[in-house]
Amino acid sequence: MSEQDVTEVTVTVNGTEIEAQSGEMLIAAADRAGVHIPRFCYHERMSSVGMCRMCLVDVDTGRGPMLQPSCMVPVSEGMIVDTESDDTKRAQEGILEFLLVNHPLDCPVCDKGGECPLQDQTLAYGPGESRFIEEKRHYEKPIPISDLVHLDRERCILCDRCTRFADEIAGDPLIQFTERGNSTQVLTFPDEPFSSYFSGNTVQICPVGALTAAPYRFKARPWDLEENESTCTTCSMGCRISVQSSRNELVRYLGVDVESVNHGWLCDKGRFNFEAVNSDERLTSPFVRDPDNQRQLLGTDWGSALASSAEAIRRAGPQKVGIIGGSRLTNEDAYAWSKFARSVIGTDNVDAQLGDGLPAELVLGLPPATIADACEADTVLVIGPDLKEELAILHLRLRGAATKGRTQVVQIGAATTGSDSYAQRSIRCQTGEAAKTLSELLSSDDPLAKQLSDGSVVVILGRSSVAESVDPAVATAAVIQAELPHATFLVAVRRGNVRGALDMGLAPGFLPGRTRISNPSASLTEKWKQIPEKSGLGTSEMLQAAAAGQIETLILLGADPLSDFPDRNLAADAIQKTKTVIAIDNFATSSVAQADIVLPATAYGEQSGTTTNIEGRISRVAQKITSPGSTRDDWMIATELAWRLGGDLELTSKEDIWREIEQVAPSHAGITLERVQSSEMFEGILVQQSSIDLALPVPKDTPVADGYGLRLISGRKLWDAATTTEQSPSLRHLAESPSIKVHPNDLQRLGIPSGTEVRVISTRATENLTVTADDNVQRGTAILPFNQPGVGANRFIDATAVINDIRIETL
Amino acid sequence: MGYLGGFKVTFMKLFEERVTTEYPKEKRPKPSRFHGRHVLNRYEDGMEKCIGCELCAGVCPARCIYVRGADNSESDPVSPGERYGYVYEINYLRCIHCDLCVEACPTEAITESKLFEFSFANRSDAIYTKNELVVGDDGLPQRQPWELWHEGDDLATSGWMRATASAGNPDYENRVGWSGELGYGTRDPELGQHDSASDEKPETLAHEHDQLEDVD
Amino acid sequence: MNEMTGTPIAHAPGFIANETPRIVTARFDYEDSHTLERYEATDGYQALKKALKKTPEEVHDEVRDATLLGRGGAGFPAGVKWGFCPPGVWPRYLVVNGDESEPGTYKDRLLMELDPHQLIEGCLIACYAVGLSQCFLYIRGEMAVAQERVAQALNDAYGAGYVGKNILGSEFSVDIVLHWGAGAYVVGEETALIESLEGNRGMPRLKPPYFPASIGLYGQPTIVNNVETLANLPWIVQHGADAFTAIGTESSPGTRMVAVSGHVKRPGVYEIVNGTTTFRDLLYGNDMCGGIRDDNQLKAFVPGGGSAPWFTPDQLDLPFEASQVGPQGSMLGSGAIMVMDETTDIPAAALTLTKFYAHESCGKCVPCREGGTWLEQILRRVVTGRGTARDLELLIEVGETICPGEFPHAAVPDKGIEAVPFPYRMTTICFVGPSAFAPIHSALTLFREEFEAKVAGNETRTMIEVAVDV
Repeated sequence: MSEQDVTEVTVTVNGTEIEAQSGEMLIAAADRAGVHIPRFCYHERMSSVGMCRMCLVDVDTGRGPMLQPSCMVPVSEGMIVDTESDDTKRAQEGILEFLLVNHPLDCPVCDKGGECPLQDQTLAYGPGESRFIEEKRHYEKPIPISDLVHLDRERCILCDRCTRFADEIAGDPLIQFTERGNSTQVLTFPDEPFSSYFSGNTVQICPVGALTAAPYRFKARPWDLEENESTCTTCSMGCRISVQSSRNELVRYLGVDVESVNHGWLCDKGRFNFEAVNSDERLTSPFVRDPDNQRQLLGTDWGSALASSAEAIRRAGPQKVGIIGGSRLTNEDAYAWSKFARSVIGTDNVDAQLGDGLPAELVLGLPPATIADACEADTVLVIGPDLKEELAILHLRLRGAATKGRTQVVQIGAATTGSDSYAQRSIRCQTGEAAKTLSELLSSDDPLAKQLSDGSVVVILGRSSVAESVDPAVATAAVIQAELPHATFLVAVRRGNVRGALDMGLAPGFLPGRTRISNPSASLTEKWKQIPEKSGLGTSEMLQAAAAGQIETLILLGADPLSDFPDRNLAADAIQKTKTVIAIDNFATSSVAQADIVLPATAYGEQSGTTTNIEGRISRVAQKITSPGSTRDDWMIATELAWRLGGDLELTSKEDIWREIEQVAPSHAGITLERVQSSEMFEGILVQQSSIDLALPVPKDTPVADGYGLRLISGRKLWDAATTTEQSPSLRHLAESPSIKVHPNDLQRLGIPSGTEVRVISTRATENLTVTADDNVQRGTAILPFNQPGVGANRFIDATAVINDIRIETL
Repeated sequence: MGYLGGFKVTFMKLFEERVTTEYPKEKRPKPSRFHGRHVLNRYEDGMEKCIGCELCAGVCPARCIYVRGADNSESDPVSPGERYGYVYEINYLRCIHCDLCVEACPTEAITESKLFEFSFANRSDAIYTKNELVVGDDGLPQRQPWELWHEGDDLATSGWMRATASAGNPDYENRVGWSGELGYGTRDPELGQHDSASDEKPETLAHEHDQLEDVD
Repeated sequence: MNEMTGTPIAHAPGFIANETPRIVTARFDYEDSHTLERYEATDGYQALKKALKKTPEEVHDEVRDATLLGRGGAGFPAGVKWGFCPPGVWPRYLVVNGDESEPGTYKDRLLMELDPHQLIEGCLIACYAVGLSQCFLYIRGEMAVAQERVAQALNDAYGAGYVGKNILGSEFSVDIVLHWGAGAYVVGEETALIESLEGNRGMPRLKPPYFPASIGLYGQPTIVNNVETLANLPWIVQHGADAFTAIGTESSPGTRMVAVSGHVKRPGVYEIVNGTTTFRDLLYGNDMCGGIRDDNQLKAFVPGGGSAPWFTPDQLDLPFEASQVGPQGSMLGSGAIMVMDETTDIPAAALTLTKFYAHESCGKCVPCREGGTWLEQILRRVVTGRGTARDLELLIEVGETICPGEFPHAAVPDKGIEAVPFPYRMTTICFVGPSAFAPIHSALTLFREEFEAKVAGNETRTMIEVAVDV
């Protein structure tokens, strides 16, 4: 039914007249009117199937009352509904008795026991007693259907929720009904596990304990769980979640259904990486480098660690200090560090991005779009990363909008992506030449050109490969700004709260509130003791300066350049040559292990505050558990250091910090602490004002391929060697071992069979890797995912080059 | 007579049967539903009955029980089924011996014995762990050094009651089903997968059954 | 079958000719009835030529005037069903329901095996009348001979230019696609058949829409017709609606095929006059079944396929007329008569039918999936002598969750039981769930004493007793 046809109708439910929209299902209308109709299979985010028959109610459309499934009956004018009639009650009792006939009733051992819709509705609507005395149906008790999900078919009531989710929402129809009648069961296909990035959602929506999550299995019972509403910061999507703990240990995250962001869904990485917070590998006390044995870190107390840090910062002086990282931090922590760097140290060498993102200029200055805008735009132009791998829930939202026909997704890129299946068009271009391809398309008579120039367009812009510099993305932005001035942008920077960190000024040349350093607000000048006059260095320049011996003290603020900076050789050189490296982190990552002073910080779930997602939506991060050992919040470390450097940040709590942010950041003006603490934060507060007048840097041209080498494409995968994944026992083994993928013809030309080990040579390194032939790889390119366990792509990448080429040789 | 009249009751009681006993020299038999120190029972084959479901901890009004479940290993299971009680602790400084845990237990794993004479000199002794609560190989409670035991105190550790369903058959309202003494006697093994197509009589239905024992 | 009378025809196994007018079985007497040569020699494809000379509306009107009732089970007039296609929506599809799997029904199989061209011609006429561009012939997977013959016939018809582009030189083009089923009873339900045809699991779709005519195959308007319904079309077009309505009664014109099985002397498929022939004519008529085997007494019979409530000798004089059978508590359904004589063990017979429907549940609706098997389990207990008097009540109680309210059944004058008219109410999407209950309900209502004999002496136990005991 098209939107124009929707009219208001009046329906009588249990004697009360309610207003509903024509075409709406009765159960949804009743829900809004506060009348609960019991249900198992109905889910408001999925299509109705009417399998469970639990929502049968008496419906009278003029032909007398009839039992009808309310999830399948659209409301119509004058409909009279009775959800409490004798017939309805008898039907409900009957259905529940039927559902329990073969249900094992092993509630005491079942993870769902205590929060189980089947239990609850049996208590509320059930017959109280069964007349069934036969032998129940038996199946093998839980069978793993994927690495993360167990299936207990005895408990299953065949509501079709998980199978529908896999098919309709996730687009991975890997579980299906098999057999029939009483033997109907949900199963995977033979030898094909339910290896979906979204499998955890099926556990959450299962109305019984048939699907259980391996990481939560037997960890707690619902009645000893405590929960807080929070926001996931695994990537920059900002999915709303409920953080649940038992006995001061995080045990589960559940997706919270908010219309603007995640619709209740989570990716498995975000859902299950709470295990990292509980890890035994957490840093719980400060460390300093042993003066006698440089290869060893010694445990120490906070006082001396902070004193040596302050001394190192003082000694270096403002020009020779650099701060890298900050996207792990909450907005408040980021603000404290931003203020500390400028006001106390006096340096502008700060960058929350690790050389794998986009210039802050683009992130903060391009005309913004929201996720909802993207899902309703006539066309979504994706020029950037594989959304399924990097921003999985954005992929889910776009897929939903595209499959429902609300939007058309058009991709331009050099590699296949997870969005190919629902894209209207996937245009393959040469690596680094998306801008050229786009401008050619726009000047052609392709109907797509007209579609783009006439209709609304949301551009999802990002770096499709870490082996590419920012120049191709900047060039693309320039083309779109020139040719499609009506287009708005969703800038796909992926790391945690990177958007919030940039908003708080953790980028060279930018101050809190999306202003340039040259243009500070009046209240900022008042609150901050000093503001550096000229822009400092970004991560890439800082590392180059450090490698040249021009940086004396480098602060890694939750950053691991050795793993995350595209150019490992440069990062290693820089860390090596820097006199003092101060690392503030949760884990001893490879960079932290090289640091001279290590300060342990609180992790996710241990700190409260706010975070900002990809579209600029501010939402709440909640503290649920107390942090281990003597770990401290990042803002506290900043204030302590400031105090030891003779300054005072004048910040005493997170609330305090927010009040100051609201005063000094022009974009955040009006978002008072009261609003942040109000129920408005459920959906999050969207901040899109920006005072940055965009002056795009002139991009470097992509060099022409020489014909001998292969252009390296290095995108990210959902399962990689990221610290939180590595530290989560359930997720650790999900990352594939690295293998370089090349088109079979290219391999044939080189005379190398697929699956063999080859020597991979770039200007930076020569390493041995396994090569695989893959038809989906474009000729002349080679795909090596970034940050996979083992030999990472960052060994081959030169961060200063626009494009990186590699050569492959037989051993 | 005067003040002697005040002794009237005393003299009369002199010739009545004495109701006090010389505790602790002499001990009276305890009623069958006496609530004493808990035991964690096992099946005849040595498997623990506790499945770590935490229902006892959930129902405990004094919050004195701490339970954590874990996955049974297939090769060396601790209890039948998927889950077992990995941690089981009762804090006797808090326990009020209300017996709600016993009623909540779905497997008759936790019951109360008649032992009540125990005192501790430190807090850690007061927290009984699973090692101390679980019955020995003979199915009888394990004696702790600080407990005073008398002859036969370790017997009769049950008194397990089935709650009747509120919406149940009216015939069974207010009737209590006692399971009898635990740790003794045998149960039929659970049936395997019954082929619905076969006309074999399922064994459970073949039993002659006794009428419920009406306790009250 | 020693005492067979009449003329059995060796090459038409199962079919028995009688004295009624023959509309759809006219060619069954020929040994080569399934060939194009024979079909063309016996007025074959003449109706198509005649139809092509008329406008589609005229053909549609002809069929509507003929009041051709659907022969699949529901008995809905085909001409009216065709009219449900929303105007102006193309493409539209015709789906031929050849997934005949109702217990006791085997009439469509004979039509497909012995006269496939008649079916093809019927399809073409339907397509022409409603403007359908493609026809899908969904034939039950187990019917090997039918599949072979229909496939051959279709090839021949394509070759002769009856099917395909610009049929017989006209502007009219239709493609017919063959599809073999994979052996699920529920696919006989039209929406499940559409799901199966789309490559999905054969599960019924939810209603509304009540007819796939508005939203059907691939979301397009779709007409689903039974094989026998379509086989009538050539004759109707050839001879006119008036000739058709002259046979039978006003509300049930024409002839229909019935498949008789069970305890009669000559079980088989008969073409009978609709609306006037009575069950007695059929079962006892000398040119038809010729009476009960061994001249036994008739005990009960199922008048319309395994899912229909049962009749007893009291209802023998009812004609094949839905408006008369319905108020008496049953339905004509797919035209399958199953006859039980006095030697029949009624509870066991009910169990056989219930077992079939429990097994064939697609597993979608809870009442059918769980209730059907539960009913089977209870009934099995009763039949094997382990049931109790309580189980007999339980059978009805469980059935009432599948079909709330009074379930239709025939009258039993001896016991003062009045008939409850058809249809029933149900909590499931399709009729498979109620079908599992129908035989139990009929058997228990009409022959309760046989069940009581089986449970006599067994003690009633409730769940709690069993639980406490164990």
